[in-house]
Amino acid sequence: MKKTRSKEKNPFIGALDQISKNQDMKSFKMVFDYFGPRLKSFLMSSGAEESVAEEVIQETMTIIWTKADFYNPKLASPSTWIYTIARNKKIDILRKSRKAVLENIDTAILPPVEPKLEEDIEHDQRFEILNKYLDDLPKEQLDLLKMNFIEEKSHGEIAEITKIPLGTIKSRIRLAMEKIRDRIEKDNKSNDPNIKNLGIN
Amino acid sequence: MLDIMAQPSVTPAKLLFQQCVAESSTEGNTFNFIRNEISGYLLNKAEPRALRKNVWKKTLASIKSSNRQKRHVITDPFYNNLPVVLQDYLSNKKVKWKNYSDVKVAMLTPSAEGDKLELIHVMPGGSIPQHTHEGKENFLVLHGSYSDEYGEYHEGSVQTRDEDHDHKPVGHQTTGCIGLAYTDGKIKFSGKFSKILNFFTS
Repeated sequence: MKKTRSKEKNPFIGALDQISKNQDMKSFKMVFDYFGPRLKSFLMSSGAEESVAEEVIQETMTIIWTKADFYNPKLASPSTWIYTIARNKKIDILRKSRKAVLENIDTAILPPVEPKLEEDIEHDQRFEILNKYLDDLPKEQLDLLKMNFIEEKSHGEIAEITKIPLGTIKSRIRLAMEKIRDRIEKDNKSNDPNIKNLGIN
Repeated sequence: MLDIMAQPSVTPAKLLFQQCVAESSTEGNTFNFIRNEISGYLLNKAEPRALRKNVWKKTLASIKSSNRQKRHVITDPFYNNLPVVLQDYLSNKKVKWKNYSDVKVAMLTPSAEGDKLELIHVMPGGSIPQHTHEGKENFLVLHGSYSDEYGEYHEGSVQTRDEDHDHKPVGHQTTGCIGLAYTDGKIKFSGKFSKILNFFTS
């Protein structure tokens, strides 16, 4: 069986694993020190006040500690898992009633719809494809995605800031997502054992 | 489908709807993966902003007094067929169904939010009276199918409707239809009984 090409393992995958298996405080501090300040920046850029941002961070870190065994590196990268916990927490905290409506789904990262064979998952290049695409994007494009997804600005606000027409903004965001999807699907097809047997690639 | 998946999740209703779309089709799942990973990538690249000194202390205190949690499992056959994220979300809540003649509707998120998420159960062959929408409605077909003047819609598909659409959806004759409706704004009934129906849903 073909071996996966060696990739630099994200150190946070190991850290989350240590937190889950051994309640390792050193790993937890490492996660806190790296993601805490980055979460603060992301939360405040979407309008949260400093004290609210820090409250979200504190609760996010607590969830990471208590639910570290929910993390599956095959389904999401560490930063994505942590991001979604913080995002869900932020939604709950910023609501007027502050009721923790989303607490049961705070760590939900969804598995692929069609169950994949173990060897397909080994070859799953989704993360590489996505990271490479984003690494290659020109800065204005990345800023557009940032304003949309992280800062949660409306398309109208983005248009005002960038002086790019409204329609163009919407289509650029769509295009980025479609391109990544197309590349992922193309990769899935080239790994499909049925196609492999036919000698098509 | 891409439009609703390309938007940030800002309320519980919207987030849940997007998660259910992600669970209901490969395409939805892929878009969900992409939008989440884009955010994770950007989080990694974010400019760190120093935390105040007491955040670590508070975090330590919080984890010392916390317990590992377990997921509840519901055995109701209706709920077991809903997307997992919805089952988890509803596991500690009571769902109240409003019964109309051919349709049952349950409001899933608190009403004061400005947007809303509803579970809609159309009986086999049942219909929802002619209506249009104030604002936008995104409808995800979870089970069965329905049709209206514009076409037929099956499991895993998402339809977007706004005030330009005036329609009368009818559930499939045999299976009926169960779907999730995410709405920004209110439904405005437009047919014969519009005055009465608008009164009931306002």
